[in-house]
Amino acid sequence: MSLIHIQDLTFTYPGASTPILRNFSLDVEAGDFLAVVGNNGCGKSTLCKTLNGLIPHFIAGDFSGTVLVDGENTLDMDVGTLARRVGYVYQDFENQIVRPTVLDDASYACLNYGMEDYLDRGKKALELSGLSGREKDYIWQLSGGQTHLLALAGALALGPDVLILDEPIAQLDPAHADRIYQILRDLNQKQGKTIIVIEHHTEYIADYCRHVLLMKDGRAVWKLPVREALGRVEELEESSIFPPQVTIAASRLQKQGRYLPCAPLPVTVSEGTRAFQKLSWKTQPAPEKAKAEPPRPVASFFNVSASYRSVKGEPHKVFEDLNLTLRSGENIALVGTNGAGKSTLMKLLTGLIRPGSGNISLGGRLISEASPEEISQTVSLVYQNPEDMFIKDSIKNDIAYAMQARKIPDWEEKTRLLLKRFRLTDLANRDGRLLSGGQMRRASLAIGVALNPKILLLDEPTANLDIATRKEIMYTLKEMKDITETVMIATHDMQLVCEWADRILVLHQGRVAADGTRDEIFADRRLLDLVGIRPPEIFALGRALDERALCYTVDDFLNAFKETRDE
Amino acid sequence: MSKWMQKLSENILDKFSMDFLRSQVLKNAYGNDDTVIAGLDPRILLAWYLFFAIVPWFADDIPFLLGCFLLVMVTTVLARVAGLVLFLFVLGIFTQTGYLLIFTLLFGGDASSVAPLLVLTLKVATVSLASVTVFSGLDPDRLSNGLMWYGCPERLSFSISYAYRMLPILMEEFQNVLLSYRLRGNPPAHDTAAGKIRYLVYQVRIIIQSFYPLMLNTAKRSRTTVEALELRGYRYAQSSRQVRRMKLASLKVTLNDLIFLTASILWTAVSILASGLI
Repeated sequence: MSLIHIQDLTFTYPGASTPILRNFSLDVEAGDFLAVVGNNGCGKSTLCKTLNGLIPHFIAGDFSGTVLVDGENTLDMDVGTLARRVGYVYQDFENQIVRPTVLDDASYACLNYGMEDYLDRGKKALELSGLSGREKDYIWQLSGGQTHLLALAGALALGPDVLILDEPIAQLDPAHADRIYQILRDLNQKQGKTIIVIEHHTEYIADYCRHVLLMKDGRAVWKLPVREALGRVEELEESSIFPPQVTIAASRLQKQGRYLPCAPLPVTVSEGTRAFQKLSWKTQPAPEKAKAEPPRPVASFFNVSASYRSVKGEPHKVFEDLNLTLRSGENIALVGTNGAGKSTLMKLLTGLIRPGSGNISLGGRLISEASPEEISQTVSLVYQNPEDMFIKDSIKNDIAYAMQARKIPDWEEKTRLLLKRFRLTDLANRDGRLLSGGQMRRASLAIGVALNPKILLLDEPTANLDIATRKEIMYTLKEMKDITETVMIATHDMQLVCEWADRILVLHQGRVAADGTRDEIFADRRLLDLVGIRPPEIFALGRALDERALCYTVDDFLNAFKETRDE
Repeated sequence: MSKWMQKLSENILDKFSMDFLRSQVLKNAYGNDDTVIAGLDPRILLAWYLFFAIVPWFADDIPFLLGCFLLVMVTTVLARVAGLVLFLFVLGIFTQTGYLLIFTLLFGGDASSVAPLLVLTLKVATVSLASVTVFSGLDPDRLSNGLMWYGCPERLSFSISYAYRMLPILMEEFQNVLLSYRLRGNPPAHDTAAGKIRYLVYQVRIIIQSFYPLMLNTAKRSRTTVEALELRGYRYAQSSRQVRRMKLASLKVTLNDLIFLTASILWTAVSILASGLI
């Protein structure tokens, strides 16, 4: 019998006119590792909340159909009983942590349910989540990845059979993302937990999951084994899910008649390497290097060091002797692991953080001589969390605010144009906080460029977005060329880096570990291992087939590799 | 005056930043968990506090009050209270009664006019320092467990520790919102004296305006927290006597508590004796 059985489930949120789940049916076997995919708003999170009883016990609404967990109807159990069977980790997991220290939080639920051995359970859960040794730490001492593991431990401590994670790796660098998935795999294989993830990153689905459920408009389209599911390239793309680049390449080759018509498509790099053995790399004409005068510098760092206060002990040093020059017209990607100092570098440029020693000059003027208000005419920073950019009650007023405050002539007309340019005209009177993820990003970008800054700094502009929305943001970024001179983006998103940046700065342990074009950075294996960044899958595939190949997109790959003639 | 004004208007946002506030709050709540005071049993400390928060109001002899004041000063030092809190304490004392005392002294007041003011100042100072010792020396969890033992509702004690958990997050968010206002706004020029006052008013205004987006962002965040609390059995625990017992099981009276209590009683007895002799 299946562990989870859902039959004809229909659910409508109070006040909504249409149901978010319609006649939804699903069976999940015990011990499965299931990925749930689907476009934004298709009901993925709602589905997960019906499994732990939040719906309908805590969130009222129009509920019909049956949900059985381990043979028992969720309607007959209370949330407490269900929480011990189904653990849930939210997408905004930091809000689910309610206690100040690590062990306290991990054992909190066990204490509440009156389990005498709550501390041991907490410790065990921390061990399973790879947080042993951090029991006494305060939660703000943890990195983003560790905080996520703690949220996982808090759910695990109750000993549930099923674990549900909502986009577990959205904000993590590849090393931390791998760690989360390895822990999930261990839990699945060694502890026999059934795991359900909501996930956009199909390369992780290919590596770790067993089944994929595709949802569309509140219905289950299909549930298939992972290989078969990812091979349905067109169906996935219709739902704004992008299969692994390897699979896309194979599917395109298949269409061109260059790949066996009925053969299963490869889903991982190693499978791809085997499947594409017949392809060989064709020497590409080296791109001509226009060795023009280097453009004029717009900002320079001279021997800058920076640190921030810590709760206990010595201040934490972020940079020491940082030297860097940013030039006009550059598209700069700032990469490095979580905590490498990307955000600090950006805040230094806006004058929000003052360097401990050294100087930063901005267009020939020292930053230390200007106030952040003056600097904001030249440098604009768009935060990672777009909510913090919304200070007025509508995005129209938000965009207009800076221009109005500076009494810029025609600010009304300029606001209208910006709304139009960022495709926000229809949303002009809505509060920014209530928009969808992609709309919120676009609005924050529009606010960021309202003053025509010479330098635009974007902190993780594609984090937490599904791939369709990400593409939209990338399109917007390319469009912005004529507004700002220099754009710098801090990001983990290597596809964005490859497709957009012409200069890549790699930060590692408080210094610039590398600075160059994508060819210079990604071709250097030693560097990539050292600083823990990972090129896109298609690049890895290209290099696995031929060491000389540097392909950044599926198109690059298809152009650069041809069938060997003698076969 | 204008120099002072300039300093104030520069400092309010620059030096005295939210970042600084945040680190002080954290330091205050959790940065000193290894002090003597933090190691004491919260029940003992609360009882101790009750004495020093009430008795000074009803006493009028200077030697006794001075004795109490010295004692709570020592405990404040032992608790390693954060600088900001001490600063607020000094400011508070000064604005309450301290300035009267100093003015009286400066303008040639004699002992008869100084004494009542000194008594009042000592009372306020003793009670405040006792509060500072207990509420910032103990970490919020121990404090709320102590309160719970004395029969305070679970909801109150949870609120205390949850507030401390949320404060750093809220302050960070507040800082970001404030920065949005700052960077996008256009402050009035502040080279003249009038301009400086306008600048100060401007800064205070954006601080107040920042609360509106902060509230909305917090409301958005708390949706997850409320659901998570439900899943993690918060409501369930409120009605369970067993959970209450388990939470209080961690409280233990140790030798240190007894030493602390004995030393306090002895010292207080000595000061009462001293006031009797004089």
